[in-house]
Amino acid sequence: MGRSRNQLVALLGLMFALLPPVAFGAEAPRVTAVLSNSQAQVGEMVQMQIRITGARGAQIPDISVDGLEIHQTGSSQQFEMRNFDMTQSVTYSFTILPLKPGGFTIPPQKIKVGSTTLETPELRLAVVGSGGTTARPSQGSQSSRGSGGNNADDAQTTGGKLAFVDLIVTKKAAYVGEMIPVEIRVGFNSRSHGRPLEPPELSSQGFTMQKVDVPDQPRIQTIDGRTYEVWSFKTAIAATRAGNFDIGPAQIGALVAVPKQRQQNSRPRSPFDLFNMDDPFSDPSFQDPFGYFTTMQRATLKSDPVHLEVKALPPNAPADFSGAVGNFSLTGDANPKSVQVGDPVTLTATISGKGNFDRVSAPTLEDEHGWHKYPPSAKFKQDDTVGFSGTKSFEMVVSPNEKKTNVPPLRFTFFDPLKEQYVTLKTDALPIKVEGGSMPSVAAAGPSATAAPARTTPATSAEPPVAATPAPQDILYQVTEWPARPGSFVPLYRSNIFLGAQLLPLAALLGYVGWKLRQRRLLDREARRTAALHHEANDLVRALKRDGVSPQEYYTRASQAIRVKTALALKIDPNVVDLDDVIAAFHLDEASRNRLQRLFEQTDELKYSGGGNGTQTIAPEQRRETLELIESLRA
Amino acid sequence: MKKLVRILIVAIGLTGAAQAETPPEFARANQEFGAGNFDIAIADYEKLVQTGNWNATLFYDLGNSYYRKGDFGRAILNYDRALALEPNHPEARANLRIARDNSHALQLAPAWTDRLLRFATVQHYTIAACIAFWAGLFGLAAFFVSRRSPFRMVLSLLALAVCGGLAYSIYVIENGNTGRSLAVVTSPNITARLATADSAAAVLALPVGSEVRILSQRGEWVYAALPNDLRGWMPATGIEQVRL
Repeated sequence: MGRSRNQLVALLGLMFALLPPVAFGAEAPRVTAVLSNSQAQVGEMVQMQIRITGARGAQIPDISVDGLEIHQTGSSQQFEMRNFDMTQSVTYSFTILPLKPGGFTIPPQKIKVGSTTLETPELRLAVVGSGGTTARPSQGSQSSRGSGGNNADDAQTTGGKLAFVDLIVTKKAAYVGEMIPVEIRVGFNSRSHGRPLEPPELSSQGFTMQKVDVPDQPRIQTIDGRTYEVWSFKTAIAATRAGNFDIGPAQIGALVAVPKQRQQNSRPRSPFDLFNMDDPFSDPSFQDPFGYFTTMQRATLKSDPVHLEVKALPPNAPADFSGAVGNFSLTGDANPKSVQVGDPVTLTATISGKGNFDRVSAPTLEDEHGWHKYPPSAKFKQDDTVGFSGTKSFEMVVSPNEKKTNVPPLRFTFFDPLKEQYVTLKTDALPIKVEGGSMPSVAAAGPSATAAPARTTPATSAEPPVAATPAPQDILYQVTEWPARPGSFVPLYRSNIFLGAQLLPLAALLGYVGWKLRQRRLLDREARRTAALHHEANDLVRALKRDGVSPQEYYTRASQAIRVKTALALKIDPNVVDLDDVIAAFHLDEASRNRLQRLFEQTDELKYSGGGNGTQTIAPEQRRETLELIESLRA
Repeated sequence: MKKLVRILIVAIGLTGAAQAETPPEFARANQEFGAGNFDIAIADYEKLVQTGNWNATLFYDLGNSYYRKGDFGRAILNYDRALALEPNHPEARANLRIARDNSHALQLAPAWTDRLLRFATVQHYTIAACIAFWAGLFGLAAFFVSRRSPFRMVLSLLALAVCGGLAYSIYVIENGNTGRSLAVVTSPNITARLATADSAAAVLALPVGSEVRILSQRGEWVYAALPNDLRGWMPATGIEQVRL
C-alpha cells in the first residue's frame, strides 16, 4: 500500500515537473504595475507593485521621481494553475513616500527579461498635504528582514516560513533631531494563526522614538507564493547625536501555531511540495482544522538592524533656533485689533508641517521694544498617527507699553534637512491700533512705585480687555496696631480648641440619651406595677363570685379588692390604703360609705376574732351587695 | 459656681490683654519702615514670624516692606499669608493686586467649585458643618430614645446630609487652587520643566509672585500645578508655601 502510494506521488511530481516549461513557454511575458492608492497625503506611504507574468529573472531598474521617495521592499513569486495551464508571476513591491504635495507621474519603466524588454504603464499619484513642504532628492530607504529566534522550535521559524519581521527605515542619512518615519512589518503565515502579543520594541540607542501606532488588523499579502497576514506598525525616530548608528533590531513577542513534535523526525514530502520549498505547513497537521496536531507557542521575532548615518546640524544657528528640524509654515494673528495701552493682546501663531514638533517652540516678536510678553501656551494637533506631521498653535499674550500701529512680525527658525540650511519664517506685521498715553515704567522699589492695571492669567486672556487707562497706584499704608488675637494657619477643624469644644455637645448628647433612657425605664416599671394590680383586682373579683368560700376568706378578699382598686386610682401602695383613701378616691355617697365601713369592720372582726374556723356561710343577699359595692368603685 | 465663672472671665480678660500688648520688635520694625530702612524692618518682622506669634497685620506689614524693597515675590507671598489668616483684610487685598500687577505674576485660575464656594471661608463651613452634625445626632438620638416621629428622622438625616455637603466643601477648598498647597514663586528666573533636571524641556517661565499648587515633592524638586492648566517640576528653593 505504502509502495503504491509513493509511486503515485512520484508520477504526479514528474507530471508537474514537466508541465511548467510547456506552460510558461506558451505565454509571452507581460508586466503590470499598480499603486495601492492613487491619492495620498504628504508623508503617507503608498505601495506600488510591479508584476511580471510568465518570466523570471527580471532586472528591475531603480525608480526615481522628484518629490517621491521610492524604495523596493521585496519580491514574491506566485504560481497559478488553471486547466493544467500553469502561470508563474513575480511581484516586486515598492514603498512610495510623498515628500511634497502635487500631481506625480511615475514614468514607464523598462524591465529587461532575458532578451525581451518590457515596459510598465505610466502611474499617476495625486499628493495632498499642508503647505510649505519642499521636495528633496531621494536618499533611499532601507529595509531588513529577520525571522524568529524564540522559545519555540527554531527550526519551525527560521527561513521566513512561519513569520518574519521587516524593519523599514525611509532614509539612509539624516540630521540630528530630524524625524524619520519607520515601519515595522510583522508577517505571519496565514496558516500559523500567528498574532503579535504586544507592540514591537526597537533598539535604538541615540534616538528618541514616537509612540508606535498599532494597527487594528493585518493586511493579507502574498510573498513567495505564500499568504501572510502582515501587521504594519508605524512610528518615527529622531537622532539625538551625530554618528553612524544601527537601528534595531525590531523585536516583537508573538503567538504562533507550530506543529506538535512527532515521533518520526522525517516526514514524507507532500505531493504538492513540488519545488522542495520545505514548507512546514505541508505537514498534514496543518490540514487539521481543530488544531489537533498544532500547538500555540510564544515566539520572539526579530528583524535585522538597519544602518543610519546621522549628521550634525550646521554651526552658526540663528539665536532663536530652538531645535526644530523639518519643514514648517507659519501664520499669525492678533486680537483684539483695537486696545488701550497696557491692555492684553492675544497673538495666535500657527506652525504647520512635518518634523519634530516637540522641539517647535513659540515664535518670537522681531522687535520686542514697547511690548510686555507673557509666557505662551501651546496646543498640538497631529495629522498622522505618530505625530510626524500636524499643526502646533501658540497663544501668547502681549501688552503694549506705548502707542502702536501694529504688532511686529513673528519669526520662527527651523532647520530644513532637504535644503540643508536654517530657514527663518516671518509673518507680516500684524495691524493693530493701540491708543492712550505711554505707561510709566514700573519702579522696582520706593514709595513712588507704580502699578499696571490688573491683568488676567494669559490663558484666560480672551476676556474683554480693561477699558480704563491705568492710573499710577501705590500700596496702602502700614498698619501699626498689634491685633488682640493671634492668628493661625491651622484650619479650624484641626485646632485643638475646636476639637475639645466638641466634648460639650457630646456630653450633652450622652446626658440627654441617659436621661431619656432612665425616664423610659421608670415608666416601664410603673406600667408593670399597674398591670399587676389590675390583674390582682380581677382575680379577687372572680374569686368573690365563687361559692363555698368561708366568710373570713370572703371578706378578706373583698377588702383586698377594694384596696387594690383604690391603689390603682390613687397610684399608691395597696397596703397603705384605708377607708378615707377609698372614700376620697371614688367620691362615695353616704350609703356606700356605710356599707364599706361595715365591710371593713366585718373583715377585721373575722380576721381577729377567729370566726373563720366555723362553718358559717354568707347569705347570697350579702354577697350580692358586696359585689355591687366593689364593682361600683370606679374612678 | 458664680465665683468660678467670674474668675474664668477675669483670667480670659487678662490673657487677652497680655496678647494685645504690642511686641517691641513690631514697634521697632514699624519705625524702621517709616524711616525707609526696609532691610532692618524686614529683619524685625521676620523675627516675629519666627516666634510663631502670627497675625494678618504682621504679614501685611512684612509684605509692604518687601514691596518697598522691590521683592515683589515675597511681598505677594506675605500678602497672601495675611489673607490666609484674615480673608477680609482690605489693605492686604489691595496691595496684593498692585504687587501682582507690578511683577506680572501669573495666577492659578480658580476652579468652578472654588468660585462657587468662595462666599464663605473654611472656618464658616466648619462651624456650619459642626452645627449640622450635632443637630443631626441629637435628632437621631431623640428619634431612637423618644417618640419615633418620621418628621424628626427626616430632619435629622437632612442635617447630617448638610453636614456631609459642608465637609465636602471644606475638602474642595482645602485641596483647591487656594488651599493648603498654594505656594508662591519667590525667586526670579524660575522655569517649570517637564522633568527634574535643569536641562529638561521648559513648560512655563514663572514671574516672581506667580501662584502654583504643590502636588508632590521629590528631593529638591517640586511638582506643581501651574497657571494655564499646566504642570511641571521646579526647584523647591524657588517657591514658598503660603501656609506656615
